[in-house]
Amino acid sequence: MQPLLIDLSIAALALLVFVADLLMPSEEKRGLGHLASAGLVLILLLTFVLDMQGDAFGGAYVLDPLALWFKRVFLLAGALAALIALDPAEQAFARRQGEYYLLLLLSLLGMSILSSARELLLIVVSFELMSLPLYVLTAFTKSSKLSGEGALKFYLVGATSLAITLFGLSLVFGATGTTMLPEIAANAGAIRSPLLVLGVLTTLAGLAFKIGAVPFHMWVPDTYEGAATPFVGFLAVAPKAAGFALLVRLYLVAFAPLSVRFQPALLALCVLTLVVGNVLALTQTNIKRLLAYSGIAQIGYMMVGLLAQTGEGVGMLLFYLAAYLFTNVGAFAVVCAVGAASGSDDIRAYRGLSRRNPALALAMLVFLLSLGGIPFVAGFWAKMGIFIAAWHAGLHWLVLLGAGLAVVGVYYYLRIARSLYLDDPEEGAQPITIGAPLRLALIVCGTAVVLIGIWPRPWFDTALDAAKSFLH
Amino acid sequence: MSVPPSHIFLLAALLFAIGAAGFFLRRNVIVVLMCIELMLNAANLTFLAASRMHTLAHGARPDLQGPIFAIFVIVIAAVEAAVGLALVIALYRNKQTVSLDDVADLKD
Repeated sequence: MQPLLIDLSIAALALLVFVADLLMPSEEKRGLGHLASAGLVLILLLTFVLDMQGDAFGGAYVLDPLALWFKRVFLLAGALAALIALDPAEQAFARRQGEYYLLLLLSLLGMSILSSARELLLIVVSFELMSLPLYVLTAFTKSSKLSGEGALKFYLVGATSLAITLFGLSLVFGATGTTMLPEIAANAGAIRSPLLVLGVLTTLAGLAFKIGAVPFHMWVPDTYEGAATPFVGFLAVAPKAAGFALLVRLYLVAFAPLSVRFQPALLALCVLTLVVGNVLALTQTNIKRLLAYSGIAQIGYMMVGLLAQTGEGVGMLLFYLAAYLFTNVGAFAVVCAVGAASGSDDIRAYRGLSRRNPALALAMLVFLLSLGGIPFVAGFWAKMGIFIAAWHAGLHWLVLLGAGLAVVGVYYYLRIARSLYLDDPEEGAQPITIGAPLRLALIVCGTAVVLIGIWPRPWFDTALDAAKSFLH
Repeated sequence: MSVPPSHIFLLAALLFAIGAAGFFLRRNVIVVLMCIELMLNAANLTFLAASRMHTLAHGARPDLQGPIFAIFVIVIAAVEAAVGLALVIALYRNKQTVSLDDVADLKD
């Protein structure tokens, strides 16, 4: 089968939503969300049924097990994001719903191509196809001042990150004379040009902006706080995963012969990200900012997997991404429900949630335990796997640092978990009711988090197979 | 008389540095957008210089990868500027300002 089939299907779905948006009367536009979500689930099922592996365009595009894993993460994140957005979209911007889903799908298409790209030009173009719709989606609630500010900060950082990445890639092209990653990998070891090292490090700085690694993280909490909550769950997961897909292809394969040169920079980024993310999360009082800093810390843990530079490390990184997907999308879905009911994202709004909606509180508890890495939910195995892989790679002190900071993390997650059950609700707080689409998304995420926690074996095996087919 | 590629590399690096410095120092959003364009064009210039260097080194055929890359980057930069200016207009409608100093409602 054609390796391009998944991306072509996403593009076709985007066009379908676009045309349907033009033809539909505005009171029926909610159907577009159903269409986008169902379409993405269908494409996700397609990836399990058909064997499409292979390459295209002279090797510039490849569908290997690694790309397939990332595409599944994106498809799932997109389907859940469309589902969670159904009710809020109808209330906040009923007439523009079609545009919302169209932009979501186009961004998803960019990510999906990016995870398969093995050529610099294709990487840059798909990177932009991913990023541009995200800026627009962040600013989507036009009347909100915070949304506009968050989007502007996101845009300025994103555009600069593109410029820095491009400058780095232009230096790499100058030194190697080719834009194909396999050829760069074959030549890089023999080239003694300082341009190459400079290019590799500049590109790393540009990509660090994109994944929100410290010290390039300042935009993350502001953007999360400003953007509409249903969209933040997607923003927190999918573009970060795409950034890691690119990091793996560039730094573990194409630039691998230079690993001595960039390893210290990557290590410094990783340590800073772990420490700053976990420490700054301690003092947050807004749940979205808290989850943003916790997200930064999670990026740090994933970078530990990258630093191991082994197939096992990448496999655990893939596993972490899957666990992170369900946990974060789920957590932001709860934030969405509570925010809609109480009109606030302050942590105080979560006091006594168990008495306002016991199921919602239970879901939040599961997600918080998973974020904290408490045994027998998904997040525990994710952290454990990363640490074991890094230990095998000889990064002993980094594992000890990460484990110590994970304990700090448990404190700020469990502080909220405690107030869900033990504190009294604020005066006048009403019971919270949630709509069917959000409930479905919560059930999917919660079940997946618990299932991975109880029975992680098949996920571990698939992730390791995907990584080992790619990195020996 | 022809300009050696190394001079073009230096010019590109200088442009990039000016753009980066402006990005961090200037407070007017429009000027910041211009600085980003400057950085993107520095990358373009580097691509062209690199192509020229490869052509001079091998000689047989002109290396077209750099120019093609630059054309794509010009298109990307145009699209990005369109989105950026739209965001600035949205900002101006809400706050009647284009200064980054006045855009500080979101902080810890």
